[in-house]
Amino acid sequence: MPPENGAYMLAAYVVAPVILAGYSLWLWSRSRKQ
Amino acid sequence: MPETFRLALAVAGKDIRAELRSRTALLSAIVFAALVLVVFNFARDPTALAVVDLAPSVLWVTFALAAMLALNRAFTIERENAAIDGLLLAPLPRGALFAGKLLANLAFVCTVEAITLPLFVLFFNVDLSGSWPGIVGVTLLATIGFVAVGTIFSAMAVRTRFAELMLPVLLLPFMVPPLIGAVQVTSRLLAGRPLSEMLGWLRLLALYDVVFVTLCAMAFSAVVDE
Amino acid sequence: MTAGRAIVRRGFTLIALAFAGLAGVYILVLGYTPIEARQGLAQKIFYLHVPAAWCSLMAFSLVGIASALYLWLHEPRLDRFAAASAEVGVAFSAVMLTTGPIWAKPIWGTWWTWDARLTLTLFLFFLFIGYLALRAAVHEPSERARFSAVVGILGMLLVPFIHLSVYLFRTLHPQPIVLKPSAPSLPPEMLRTLLISMAVFTLLYLGLVTTRYGIALKEEAKEEAADAS
Repeated sequence: MPPENGAYMLAAYVVAPVILAGYSLWLWSRSRKQ
Repeated sequence: MPETFRLALAVAGKDIRAELRSRTALLSAIVFAALVLVVFNFARDPTALAVVDLAPSVLWVTFALAAMLALNRAFTIERENAAIDGLLLAPLPRGALFAGKLLANLAFVCTVEAITLPLFVLFFNVDLSGSWPGIVGVTLLATIGFVAVGTIFSAMAVRTRFAELMLPVLLLPFMVPPLIGAVQVTSRLLAGRPLSEMLGWLRLLALYDVVFVTLCAMAFSAVVDE
Repeated sequence: MTAGRAIVRRGFTLIALAFAGLAGVYILVLGYTPIEARQGLAQKIFYLHVPAAWCSLMAFSLVGIASALYLWLHEPRLDRFAAASAEVGVAFSAVMLTTGPIWAKPIWGTWWTWDARLTLTLFLFFLFIGYLALRAAVHEPSERARFSAVVGILGMLLVPFIHLSVYLFRTLHPQPIVLKPSAPSLPPEMLRTLLISMAVFTLLYLGLVTTRYGIALKEEAKEEAADAS
């Protein structure tokens, strides 16, 4: 029976795209500033 | 080749004489090292942790911090005296200039280490009989490594606005392999372990020195020339 | 001015495609890949962590290579590329440094270990930050390019020493089960999904670097115009 650790998976699967999308949005705002 | 060596010694001699004249940097580095040792001694619980487990790390953290102080001072002195422009206008091969700076910084840091080590033995009640040649050897080996990288980074840092902050930020990652190696070898020396257990680490230290001294010497002109 | 804008637009297209691909990877992970019996659902963090690691390392190596080439050729495009790759590398390292501990906690019971891969990522992160801090502190473009290049090369050469240092310690990291050329010990669904995820992450790297490069180009052009007037 695999251990009950879905919460960790959820955390990682939220954090990772947030960081990458956050950086992309920052780049977008920086390109707009010109 | 001998010409380069002679020039390097000339550069080193100039720097060392300049420092001996004022002596402030040397004294502040030594006082700093002594203070760090005192703080470490009061920070630990003598019943919980045996000295011999903690000692190598304490020694090397102290050496690392004092070295960083020394490297900062060395180039700040240059900047204050605007001496480096004079050096650069002379047709001095950059490898020799780097070697000279490296030797001067090495002399400085090793002096601080030579005075800190007896203080360390005194404060922490460490027994160095038998292991002290090894300690001196590994100290020299590790110090060459991080002083080489420190010399080129302080040449860069002195040309930026936040020089005192820039040097540690750049240098600390590079100090880690020599520090880890030095702590590992020192702890084995203090415990009287056989040489075979230290060979891997000693090879790491030696390789680091060869690679980084060579590389920093080659890269030095990219930093000091326009 | 327009050259930069075109590059930025191309970059954002790649980024959009990459995020679409990432959505696809999420579907594969949740619907297609099996649940690992010993590690449970947390094992699936692997499909994000490993590609992020690959991208960080790639970003870092490219900074090193571009730095070496810059000192040889003095081509400003190389310096601009290195700066872009370093910034993007910080983003991927941040993903590694967050997903790593989130994965480690349920599997090994501890948030952090000083094993080879986590330690190396931490160092890459610090080296990237140092590189970017130096760039921010030097204003003259050619001096900034030269100094950054030196740090880039020295940093690239530091990595094998960090690796060697950690190797001389015992390591806790799971054995590399993917990089065996003859017979990968991963079940095929896992391997396929991992490879697709690696491709998506690489696409994202390309998109981010292209965009960042284009932005740098635009900013330089604007500065030149301001100086001239």
